[in-house]
Amino acid sequence: MNNYIEKNILPLVTKPITYLGNEVNAVHKNPSPEMIRFAFAFPDTYEVGMSHLGMKILYGLLNEEKDIWCERVFAPWVDMEEQLRQHNLPLYGLESMLPLNDYDFVGFTLQYEMSFSNILNMLELGKITQRSALREEDEPFVIAGGPCAYNPEPLADFIDLFVIGEAEEVILKIMAAHREWKNTGGNRQDFLKRVAQIEGVYVPAFYQVNYDEQTGLITAFEPIVKEAPSIIRKQFIEDLNNAYFPEKIVVSYTETVHDRISYEIFRGCGRGCRFCQAGMIYRPTREKTVPTIQAKIKALIDATGYDEVSLSSLSTGDYSEIEALIKNLVCDYTDGKVSISLPSLRIDSLSIEMLEEIQKVRKTGLTLAPEAGTQRMRDVINKGVTEENLLDTVRTAFEKGWGHVKLYFMIGLPGETLADIEGIADLGQKVVDEYFKIDREERNKSLKVVLSTSSFVPKPFTPFQWMGQNTQEEFKQKQRHLKASIKDRKISYSWHDSGVSFLEAVFARGDRRLGSVLEKAHQKGCRFDGWGECFDLQKWMDAFVEAGVDPDFYALRNRDYSEILPWDFIDTGITKDFLQSEAEKAETALTTPFCPDTCSNCGIMEFKKGWKCNG
Amino acid sequence: MVKIQYQFKRSTPLRFLSHLDQQRLFQRAFRRANIPVAYSQGFNPHPRMSFALAMSVGLTSDSEYGEVIVSTDINVDSFISRMNHVLPSGLEIVTAKICGEGVESLSASLYKSDYQIRVKVMPETDLGELAESVRMYLELPQILVQKRNKKGKFVEKNIRPFIESISVFPDSEIDHVNVKMTLIYIEQQCVKPEQVLASFNDQISAVFVIDPTIELHREKLLLKADA
Repeated sequence: MNNYIEKNILPLVTKPITYLGNEVNAVHKNPSPEMIRFAFAFPDTYEVGMSHLGMKILYGLLNEEKDIWCERVFAPWVDMEEQLRQHNLPLYGLESMLPLNDYDFVGFTLQYEMSFSNILNMLELGKITQRSALREEDEPFVIAGGPCAYNPEPLADFIDLFVIGEAEEVILKIMAAHREWKNTGGNRQDFLKRVAQIEGVYVPAFYQVNYDEQTGLITAFEPIVKEAPSIIRKQFIEDLNNAYFPEKIVVSYTETVHDRISYEIFRGCGRGCRFCQAGMIYRPTREKTVPTIQAKIKALIDATGYDEVSLSSLSTGDYSEIEALIKNLVCDYTDGKVSISLPSLRIDSLSIEMLEEIQKVRKTGLTLAPEAGTQRMRDVINKGVTEENLLDTVRTAFEKGWGHVKLYFMIGLPGETLADIEGIADLGQKVVDEYFKIDREERNKSLKVVLSTSSFVPKPFTPFQWMGQNTQEEFKQKQRHLKASIKDRKISYSWHDSGVSFLEAVFARGDRRLGSVLEKAHQKGCRFDGWGECFDLQKWMDAFVEAGVDPDFYALRNRDYSEILPWDFIDTGITKDFLQSEAEKAETALTTPFCPDTCSNCGIMEFKKGWKCNG
Repeated sequence: MVKIQYQFKRSTPLRFLSHLDQQRLFQRAFRRANIPVAYSQGFNPHPRMSFALAMSVGLTSDSEYGEVIVSTDINVDSFISRMNHVLPSGLEIVTAKICGEGVESLSASLYKSDYQIRVKVMPETDLGELAESVRMYLELPQILVQKRNKKGKFVEKNIRPFIESISVFPDSEIDHVNVKMTLIYIEQQCVKPEQVLASFNDQISAVFVIDPTIELHREKLLLKADA
């Protein structure tokens, strides 16, 4: 197959080199019959998937085990898919080019809801039965994890088992269970019953969901086998500093979305922004030490040859020793040939000074995310950033020569009024005014302020999980209103939406009745829904009608606090009471402090015995 | 500052690299091999390295040339072994030498390329007749092809002076032939082997199936200094 594909198919597709698995640091092993074959599947393109940190960690971790070979597989781009279908060839794991249905495990990472249709497509291309209930004994176990696994229900029909939370430790327990199970000669059910007992593993087939016939609401959610626990506890790594992190990562030949070393300096976030799922599910905050970070970055540069390192986290400026870390890194790489970048910086002037220190280069784009246009609204979402913070920051930036500022906002936030929408335009205007206060000689010659809005999608395990999303019409109205409120020609406005956020809202908070919708959408040819050129809302709407499922039920409806939510069986450590109290505080625009300053009792300290946040 | 000129091979596993991919690959390989590459001055310093030719996607080659400027003196044998230690399978440095000041740039010193091409042909192509047709093709006083100029307009170009020789050989598969071709660089201009085959199709008879599955291999790249 290998040679045939190389000679006859790859010359016909774009980016053929991404289908060969022969990059620097890609792992090749000599397969033996005992070896566990694991295909790590990223349900999007190579360029997107290769930018993903979680894949790099698990790929390295699994390949450390002598008897496991973890390979990669991505969603083939549409031209490659066409070729595979035309030649009736299966989708394959990149390193060994083994057909997907010959692996022991196919593990999908769920990063965003809009990749779900790609999962079904990849299973079909890999010649794996899509519905787990119909899968044959010799087919792979299809497993999944990642942030979207916190509401696994829309994928319950297709995935044999989910890992809830951080997978570094659980995945090895699942592998150990597989070795034992193989020796006992049991069947699929036996294996699933075995792993259902591992903390953090969810096997959807072992649970029964009942619905109210009239309202469609869930009336019960219960395990139906004794091995399955009624509550699934999320997993987190306690000692992140000593947790596994690969020293060799695969270096792509083509340019990826984030074409650099991405090094995680801490996990979790204590800000408590109420719209942010990551900020809740990745609690508690855990940091790596400065010496660990320096040593690991050095090793990664030596092993890859990359010349850029990005210090990744949910809010990099919140790292407790950020100044020391940057000073040391700048000192380590004084020759200027390795650059350090800081994504996810919050708005304060310290950020600008840090940027100045490490980025001696072009001062073009500065991107800030106030998220909302008025102070009231920023308090509602607990963003904890003031107008003064923002204006100080842009003033500093303008003084230091920046000229292009991009501001990100969300629209459709809870309790939003037209005044809050106008506030976005006003804030843009105030940024322009700051620029003109600076002396003509000092400031950048050209000014451009871009306001960008996205449509808010309420997510599970956030204080806004009960809230109905705005309708498409409401979003359009708000976009028009904002456009009309902008008076200055230095300000431009861009927004993204084409129904994607509606669909995202359906699947983010959906239940297992969406399985048939996914199946029908897949049959209609839906895939790469996150890609504008592939997304077709009409096909999805047709799929909802055919499946007899009302999408508004999931996206637009305000839910009662007493309702059984599809994801209630998962315990993230953040209590439902805390989320509800946060939602109630949001109604009156009351803020909640940053964790290190005051503990607000979210529940994570009680979740794991002996755990103490911030020391 | 020392300029190192090296000759390298690219084989099947990496034939699908684009020119940019390959530049990035070498840049990272230099870093992994600890080669003290010199950087340009200015706000956005970039490593001082270049290639004689931009290799097209799909091309394999026994003979490519690259240059890199290093900031401290380095032994060429150590350069070769360190690079080959870190280069992925599919790329290999064959020779390297230190160039003195005032040596002509690589792109200006190109002389000839020997290609080996494996290409599909129309059914029932007779190799003897094909060889005869090739001889006729080469006897044409001029061979005009349509070419877009920099302004996007079509102009005619005589490619005959760029072709030194063409010969055809059988392949193990009946519907394929092997073609050997020597093409000449004139004032840094050249013609691509698949263009020559296409013009043969136009001028003599449509024998060659020119599609992306054509296999192109450069056996030798001669520099003027070698001639």
